[in-house]
Amino acid sequence: MYRVQDEVSLLRASLEGETEAWGEVISRYKDAVFGLCLGFLRNRADAEDITHDAFIRAYVNLRRYNLEKRFSTWLFTIAANLCRNRLRYRRNHPVAELPTQIRGGADPATIVARDDRHVEVREALTQLPYGYRAPLVLRFYNDLSYREIADILSIPEGTVKTRIHRGKAMLKQRIEEERDRP
Amino acid sequence: MKPNEIDDILRDTLRQEVAETAGALSGLEEQILGELDERRPRLRVSDWLRQMLAPTRGGRIGQLSVVGATAAICLLIGFFVAQQVASDGNAPGIRLTPSRATDGSQEVLFVLPALDATDVSVVGNFNSWEPTALSDEDNDGIWTASIPLPPGRYEYAFVIDGRWWGQDPLADGYVQSFGEYSSVRYVGGGDGA
Amino acid sequence: MNPQGGRSRFALVILVLACLGLSAAAGVPISAFEEAFRAIPVSDPHRFVAAVELGLTQTDFPATEVLQLTGRVSATMYTAQEKEALLLPVIAAMEDGLPVDGLVTKGLEGLARGIPVPQIEQSLRQRRVLLIETRDLLYALGIFSVAPGSPQSVPTAIPTPRFNLLVTHVSDTIADYLEGGGSPFEGQALYQEVRFRLTSLEGATLKAEDVDLVLKRIEPSDLTRVALAAVT
Repeated sequence: MYRVQDEVSLLRASLEGETEAWGEVISRYKDAVFGLCLGFLRNRADAEDITHDAFIRAYVNLRRYNLEKRFSTWLFTIAANLCRNRLRYRRNHPVAELPTQIRGGADPATIVARDDRHVEVREALTQLPYGYRAPLVLRFYNDLSYREIADILSIPEGTVKTRIHRGKAMLKQRIEEERDRP
Repeated sequence: MKPNEIDDILRDTLRQEVAETAGALSGLEEQILGELDERRPRLRVSDWLRQMLAPTRGGRIGQLSVVGATAAICLLIGFFVAQQVASDGNAPGIRLTPSRATDGSQEVLFVLPALDATDVSVVGNFNSWEPTALSDEDNDGIWTASIPLPPGRYEYAFVIDGRWWGQDPLADGYVQSFGEYSSVRYVGGGDGA
Repeated sequence: MNPQGGRSRFALVILVLACLGLSAAAGVPISAFEEAFRAIPVSDPHRFVAAVELGLTQTDFPATEVLQLTGRVSATMYTAQEKEALLLPVIAAMEDGLPVDGLVTKGLEGLARGIPVPQIEQSLRQRRVLLIETRDLLYALGIFSVAPGSPQSVPTAIPTPRFNLLVTHVSDTIADYLEGGGSPFEGQALYQEVRFRLTSLEGATLKAEDVDLVLKRIEPSDLTRVALAAVT
């Protein structure tokens, strides 16, 4: 993906106060971070907030980041922790979730077909307990290894594998139940 | 469902969701860089002088304001000096918890936008849950207090016109206490945290 | 009066005199505590004072805050028994040589929030159990405390003030987690919380090697056991 050497230079420049360099870092990672947040939180407004906060926080804490370790893991960990805090808050202050609409022109039949399948899965994902959903998002959206997922979520690698396996099984079951519904 | 079908479905769905809402991210870089610039200590020395000389509630609160203002001025001077001196790879000028005293205490900034409030204070485990007042000298609705705190973990809440509110957006996290929220901040020290 | 009464009274007097010196150094005279306990009034003032004196022998004892807590609960409109009941978990913890900072600050918070005193007492009782169980857990894991300045008997013996900080923060994390509605059975979640708290305090508050020692030895199931002890 990104040239590692290039990234290290960007981070060093950011540390030295070159905000343009940090802007470049944000451009490179914002989709990944936003996808993580949206997957974890299942709420667009919260995901936007946390994405924004994650980059602010990462910049403010940049001197604590060890340049030898993988930056993406560090950044995703910050985002994951912020998501976890937000979820705790949301447990007592829920928002009415607006279903994300599919936009854009296309053949209506395709839209309907795509709609159904994606709506089921999105719904099933939202219903999945956080502990199962988080590793799934990191695996299937962020394409991370079990090791990296374990680092980000602070759980053992074995647990990551189990959670992903069980999470997929739960999703599958829920989706099939929806489809079988008359 | 075929064995790997769920993998593909998951991948597609997640990417689809992001693709639909990614419009939200345009301009994120500018927004964040703009904010990081704004968080630098205020450059108008006259503001800080005015705050130092303005009548305070006296006593400890007045002292805190003066300490805060003095710390801010020292920060400012340090900031300008640091900009002249060749960079040594240290942190950029952004700090929510700037300057360290010799005992490791740092000036921690508490900030709360509360436009219609007449009285804002902060209570926490650093002041035995007794109110320390925030001030809004320029009446712009932004209340602040700068409190020197040694490194550690602090739980706190704001009291806005008598009502407790524990969800400081600048907090590092939140806990629930007796069914209500408190905010948590970690004040760093040494080179570990 | 039992035959031992005279001797133990004498010992108490010596202890009080010694602690007068100690508490004067700590800045809070024992007489202030005596007065505060009398004002409630507590049913067994000797016990309360003795507990404070024990606490004062520890360098990290929050004397001022204990006095504040006593004074503030005294000023509430509850009965003497209810006020005393709120202080009892703190007194008992002091008697056990446990660090009471977390208890005291939680008590002060509850009073400041206007929480009913019996409810605060309930929370303090649970937190005290967690302190005991956490300390027992550390001992079970081979992590011991040793008086500062004494030679380490084993490599995993750490000076009491540092040991107390670990006990305080691990038990406090579990308490917050349970109070927030977390399930004691989610050992992994508990471990994550503890890890986050301890590593966030690494540096000036907690030594990295102490945090490392604890996190390496503690298992999620240990934390579940501790949490269950508090809720059952």
